[in-house]
Amino acid sequence: MKIRVIIPFLIFISIVIILWRGLGLQPAKVPSPLIGKPAPSFQLPLLFDPQKITHDKDLKGHITLLNVWATWCTACAEEHDALLHISKNDSFVLYGLDYKDDPDKAKDWLQKNGNPYKLVAMDKAGLAAIDWGVYGTPETFVIDKSGVVRYKQIGPITSEVWSETFLPLLAELQNEPQNP
Amino acid sequence: MIPELGNFALIIALCFSLVQFAAPLRGICKKTISPLSADISAMAAIGQFIFLSIAFFCLILSFINNDLTVIFVREHSHSLLPIIYRIGAAWGGHEGSLLLWCLILSSWTIAFLLVTSCFLNTSDKTLLPKILTTLGLLSAGFIVFLFFTSNPFARNFPTGLIVGDDLTPLLQDPGLIFHPPMLYFGYVGFAIAFAFAISALIDGKLDRTWVQACRPWVIMPWSFLSCGIVLGSWWAYRELGWGGWWFWDPVENASLLPWLSATALIHALAVCEKRNVFKGWVILLAILTFSLSLLGTFLVRSGVLVSVHAFASDPTRGLFLLAYLTLIIGGSLFLYSLRIKYFFQAPTFKIISRETTLLINTVILVTAVATISIGTLYPIILDTLNLEKISVGEPYFTTIFLPIMLPLLLLMGVAPHVSWGEQSFKSLWKKLHLTFVSSFLLGFIAPALLGFPFHILAALGISLSAWIILGTAQYAFQLRGKISLRHWSMIIAHIGIAIFALGVSINKSYSEERQVKMKIGETVSLAGYEFTFKNLEELKVSNYQAIKATFSIQKNHSTPELLFAEQRVYTSHEQSLSRPGIVANVWRDLYLALGSTLADNSWSVRIYYKPCVRWIWFGGFMLLIGGLLSLLDYWNKRNPA
Repeated sequence: MKIRVIIPFLIFISIVIILWRGLGLQPAKVPSPLIGKPAPSFQLPLLFDPQKITHDKDLKGHITLLNVWATWCTACAEEHDALLHISKNDSFVLYGLDYKDDPDKAKDWLQKNGNPYKLVAMDKAGLAAIDWGVYGTPETFVIDKSGVVRYKQIGPITSEVWSETFLPLLAELQNEPQNP
Repeated sequence: MIPELGNFALIIALCFSLVQFAAPLRGICKKTISPLSADISAMAAIGQFIFLSIAFFCLILSFINNDLTVIFVREHSHSLLPIIYRIGAAWGGHEGSLLLWCLILSSWTIAFLLVTSCFLNTSDKTLLPKILTTLGLLSAGFIVFLFFTSNPFARNFPTGLIVGDDLTPLLQDPGLIFHPPMLYFGYVGFAIAFAFAISALIDGKLDRTWVQACRPWVIMPWSFLSCGIVLGSWWAYRELGWGGWWFWDPVENASLLPWLSATALIHALAVCEKRNVFKGWVILLAILTFSLSLLGTFLVRSGVLVSVHAFASDPTRGLFLLAYLTLIIGGSLFLYSLRIKYFFQAPTFKIISRETTLLINTVILVTAVATISIGTLYPIILDTLNLEKISVGEPYFTTIFLPIMLPLLLLMGVAPHVSWGEQSFKSLWKKLHLTFVSSFLLGFIAPALLGFPFHILAALGISLSAWIILGTAQYAFQLRGKISLRHWSMIIAHIGIAIFALGVSINKSYSEERQVKMKIGETVSLAGYEFTFKNLEELKVSNYQAIKATFSIQKNHSTPELLFAEQRVYTSHEQSLSRPGIVANVWRDLYLALGSTLADNSWSVRIYYKPCVRWIWFGGFMLLIGGLLSLLDYWNKRNPA
C-alpha cells in the first residue's frame, strides 16, 4: 500500500483527536481583543436621569469597573450581592451598563435590591454592547486610569475570582501613573 | 398521548432503519444480493419514512396545542407566539432540528428509491441495495442519537402554573420557516453521493453509469444548499442590525465548507463523465463533502465553538456525535485507503486542456476548504495545545479567502473555451485576448467614469466579473444552435458567481456608514441621501410592543421614500430587539438601525449605504436556477419523449 493513500485517514484522525480534546474546553472564555486598547467610544443615556449622557471620557482619571447586566439575566442577580459588597471599596468606580433591558424594570429592580453602581448607562438596543464585544451577561471590564481596557471577566464575579484576579490587578493598576 | 405516539414512532423508525441497513449486508459480503433482501431493504426505507413523518407530525401537533408538559415545547413556545412561528419553533431548537435532520435524510432516501426504481434501467439498479445499506446505517446512528441524548418528546409534569419560555425573538422571522429546512435539504442530501462513493469502493469499480446516476444527487443538494446559504445571509442582514451579510461565524463556515467541496465534486464528476479520469478524486471529494456536513453538525451541536447559532450544548451529545463521526468518516476513509488502488490510472491529458483547468478548479476549492477549516478550528487547536485562547475573525478569512478566490474567477472565464485533451495556448489567446483586455479596461475605467473613487478591490472585482460574463457569453455565442440545457445550466451558474463577485467587491469598496444622534425633525446626509427623522409611534402586536420610527429619505429633491425602523420589546422575554429599516432598489440598500434614546428625546441611529448588496443574493439564487436546469437536462435525457 502506498503511503499517500492513507493520508486523508491520518488527517481525519488528527482532527478527531483535536475535537475530542476540544470537547472538554470552555470556548466562551476567550480574552477580549479590546485588552490593552482604549475603551470603545460611546454615548449613552443614564438610567436614572435619561436627560444626561455618559460617554467614554467619563472612564478616565480613575480605575473603572464596568459591569454589563440586565434584569432578565439570572446570573446577574446571583452576582448582585457580591457587587454590593465590593462597591464599598473606594479604590475604583463601579459603573453599570444595563443591556437590552426595560428602563422602568431596571430602576425598580435596583431600588428594591440595592444599587451598587455609581452610574448606570442604558443600552436598550444593545448597539454599544456590540462595540464592547459583549456576548453574554454578566461581563465585567476593568479599565485603568488612562481609559484603557485591561481585563474582561466573563460570567459572575465570585469571591474566588475577586480575591484571585481582581484584587491583585487593582493593586497593580493603583500604582500606575495616568497617561493623558 | 401525542408525545408518546411520537416517541413510539421514533422507535419503530429506528427498527426500520436497522432492517434497511442489515438486509442486503450478507449479499454484499457474498457479492450477490438477492432480490428479496433488496426489496426488504427498500420496504424498510419506506416504513422508516412513514414513521419519521408521524413523529415529526406529532411534534408539530404538540407545538400547535402548546403542550407545555413536553420539555422541548416548553422551552421554545409560548401561548402568545403566532401559530406560524409555533410550527417553525419545531426546528428552532436542538432536539426538533435533529428530528428534521432524520426526516430529511429519510426523504432523500425515498426520493432516490423512487427515481431509481421508476426511471432507471436495470444496470443502475445493482447500486441500489448498497446505497440503501449505507443510508440505513447513517440514519440509524442519527435516530439513536436523537432518541437517547436529545429526545424532543421528553416530558415532565411540573406543579403550579407554567408558561413557555418562548422562541428567541431573533428566530421570530419568516427566515426561520425556510432557511433551516433548505439548508438541511442541502447538507443531508450529500449522504446519497457519499453512499455512492462507498458502493464504488466496495465494488472497486466506477464507470460512466455510476457517474451519470450520481450526478443529480450532488447537484440537487448543492442547489438547495446554495439557496439555504443565501436565505441565511439575507436573514442575518435583515435581523441583526449590523448591516453585514456574512460574518465568518463558525456555523456559517460549516455551511460554506460542504458547499465549496460539493462545487469541486460537481466539476470533477463532469470530467469523470466525459473522459473517464479523476475517479479516485471523485470518491474522495464525495466522502469529503458529506464529512464536512457531519463536521458542521458536530460543531453546531457539541458547543466546542462559540457561535450565534450554538444551541444548548451538552458534553454527552458532543461525545456521541464524535464517536459517530469517527465511525462513519474514519471508516470510509480507511476503506478508501484500502481500495483506492483499483482506481489508479495514468493521466491522458496535456498541460493545457479542459481536464487541467477543472483539476485546478477543484484543487483551489479544496484549498479554500482547508484554509477555512483551519481558521474555524484554529481556536480549538491552540486551546488543546494549551497555548492561548483566541478567536479567529473576519480579517483572517478575508485576507486568506480573497487571494484564493481571485485565480478561480480568472480561471472561470477561460475554462469553457479550453478543449478536452489538448489545447494550444496560442489559439486560446487569439480567441480570448480581446475579451480579456476589454474586461480589465472596463474594470479599471468604469468606476472612474461613473464618478466613484478608485478602489483596487472594486477594480479587480469588476474586471474579473466582466471577464467571466463576457467569456461565458462568447462561449454561448460560439455554440449558438448547438446549445443544450446542460450548457445553459453552466452559463447561468457561472454568471451567477460573476454577479455575486461584482456585488461583493462593489459593496465592500463603496459602503458607507454613520452613527449619529437625531431628534424628530432633524436631517442627516450619507452618500448623497438626506435622512429625515419624521415621527415615532407606539405599536402593540400579539407578543411584542414596539416603538416604530419613520424616516423619509431623499436624494436631490426626488420623491421621498419612507423607511420604518422598530425597537421591539418581547413580552415574554422582556428583551428588546432593534429591527432595522431597509429601503432597497437594484443599485443600493439604505439601512437604518435604531439605537437607544438619549437625553432631550434624541436617538442614536446607525445608517448604512450599501451599494449592490442585492446582487450578492441574486447571484446566489442564479446558482439555484442553474442547478435546477441541470436536473431538467438529466430528466430529459433519461426520458426521451
